Amino acid sequence: MKYVKKWVAATTLATILLPGVAVPETCVSPYIKGLRQPEKVMYLWTLPASSEGADFLSVIDVNLASPTYSKLLRKVEVGSVGNEAHHMGYTDDRTKIWAASLNTNRFFIFDVATDPMNPRLIRTIDNVSQLTGLTGPHTPYAIPGRILISMASGPDGTGPGGIAEFTNEGEFIASHPAPNHPYETVIKPEFNRMITSSWVSQKTFMSPPSKWDPKDFTDTMEVWDLKERRIIQELKGDPIPLAARWMLTPNATYGYDISNGASTLWMFRMEPNGSFSYRKAADFGTGCGPGDLRQSSDDRYLYVSCFRTGEIQGWDISDPEHPRLADTVQGIVQANMMHLTWDNRRLYVTNSAISSIDYSPRYMLRLIYIGPDGRMKLDPQFSIDFSKVPDGPARPHDMLLN
Amino acid sequence: MDRRARTTCCSISATTPEGGTTRREHRGQLVVSALLGASLLAASGALSFAHEANQRLSAGASWRGIAAHPYLTVIEAAPAFTLRDTANHQFALSRLRGRVVLLSFLYTSCTTTCPLLTQRMALLSDQLKKSELWPSSVSFLSITVDPDRDTAATLVNYARLFDAVDPNWWFLREQTSELRPVLAAYDEWTKKLPDGDIDHPARVYLIDRRGDIREIYGISFFDDRQVLIDIRTLLAEPK
Repeated sequence: MKYVKKWVAATTLATILLPGVAVPETCVSPYIKGLRQPEKVMYLWTLPASSEGADFLSVIDVNLASPTYSKLLRKVEVGSVGNEAHHMGYTDDRTKIWAASLNTNRFFIFDVATDPMNPRLIRTIDNVSQLTGLTGPHTPYAIPGRILISMASGPDGTGPGGIAEFTNEGEFIASHPAPNHPYETVIKPEFNRMITSSWVSQKTFMSPPSKWDPKDFTDTMEVWDLKERRIIQELKGDPIPLAARWMLTPNATYGYDISNGASTLWMFRMEPNGSFSYRKAADFGTGCGPGDLRQSSDDRYLYVSCFRTGEIQGWDISDPEHPRLADTVQGIVQANMMHLTWDNRRLYVTNSAISSIDYSPRYMLRLIYIGPDGRMKLDPQFSIDFSKVPDGPARPHDMLLN
Repeated sequence: MDRRARTTCCSISATTPEGGTTRREHRGQLVVSALLGASLLAASGALSFAHEANQRLSAGASWRGIAAHPYLTVIEAAPAFTLRDTANHQFALSRLRGRVVLLSFLYTSCTTTCPLLTQRMALLSDQLKKSELWPSSVSFLSITVDPDRDTAATLVNYARLFDAVDPNWWFLREQTSELRPVLAAYDEWTKKLPDGDIDHPARVYLIDRRGDIREIYGISFFDDRQVLIDIRTLLAEPK
């Protein structure tokens, strides 16, 4: 027995020391199979800049060794217009992508396993609002064998929304009502806790900002007992808490989210008695208007995109209670969605939020390199100009790597 | 007596409150340690999965998130199948109608998640016996996704390793051509890796007495304490 223990200890050490061992991809559901090697392809959920033309999945070569590196290889159109392509999510086994449409409440399911370089649309669910009683689908989020989708509003595009639950294949299971307008979902399985952030109703976010009614803004996050699908606590903070990230260390009790309305970083923490505390942790500066929040896999850095100022901020959270601005990158007008690679070294950035609030027609995909010290540098070469893609300008939003 | 499994980076053990280990747990500790250790000789990809799974499972030592009243709506009807048990007799899922069934997919040369899962299920069967729900109300099924290598004899040996030789826990197989549609019905795809390992989703299905799937577990966060509550919840429903 002693021999076995020594052997296991030695082999454990060997595991740690072996080069090339992948770490989990961040900002996706913890139930999703991890990426085990550098990415080769990016899927980018894209919508035409004009009201004509179908939304499409852009397939982009991100394989450094490829002769077509940094090129848009193909577009997989969904066959319908006006969907407002926005967020996507893998199923737990990473074989399918669920892509949601903010405006038409459709779900598009792509097969990315059969031929990862040639995704195939295998199902479109047109009657989501009838099935779920909900509208404004935002982020698909995997749990074993199923997908949860945060839905902003009720059946007519106003009022509170909820969480819709489907099988991976697209069969409706149930809807779980929420008192606000759910935006994004984050789950910490160790604690059986799910947190949903919130924003505005579908009717509001599909209108020009000049018509937005502040009364429709939410300032709450809901804490759920995941297994019971039951809300157990509401956290109240600054307006429009968008992206939320729970730290990845096993049993980590805390995480962060961004307030779009107040340009602030908030910290949530599960206290020893199981209840959650919620407090402001940092200020991004006047006019930031944060659009996305990403985390490094070692729980050391957060990355924030400032939609209004075109800045990417890197925050050192080694001291979790006292985040420190470590570095910034300027020059990505209306910076919005980001995606950090498995090795924490490359950060992809797109710059379209929603057609109703974009303020620049210079749509692009850019790449930022991140050094071991957290310093960031914009790649001067990697740039896909979506305002000049074939068949007309397009707005790039959410990304997934494979 | 809490005999909760406690996992560390590359070994699994279970203790009594007195700090001792039972025969099953002691054997499971050795078996899982050896199988996981063997993974170190495999490709780094498999290693990363093992490490990832173990890292997640290690969190289980202090999980505080057990739900007393789980939401177990009908997900879908469990796809019917007829396979062969280790005695080469036909075995239909419908035979277990009226019982709660835990259905897993594995392969015996797996060096990562499958042995961990089988150990967890073995511990769960102990809990069910103590609760007098085994063998009266609950059954386990484990289907190999690797019938070419997993002969009936191989499956029997595998079950012995985990003290899982039990008339209420069936290890099932079938010729590849006949197994394939069953795996597809449960979205249990397989992909052979260059090192001989098989990539597969490794989900675990909880099926109620009417034959409906009521919960799907991912192996990385499989918690036998929660599954026990889920089973009790289903058994408390009217027949």
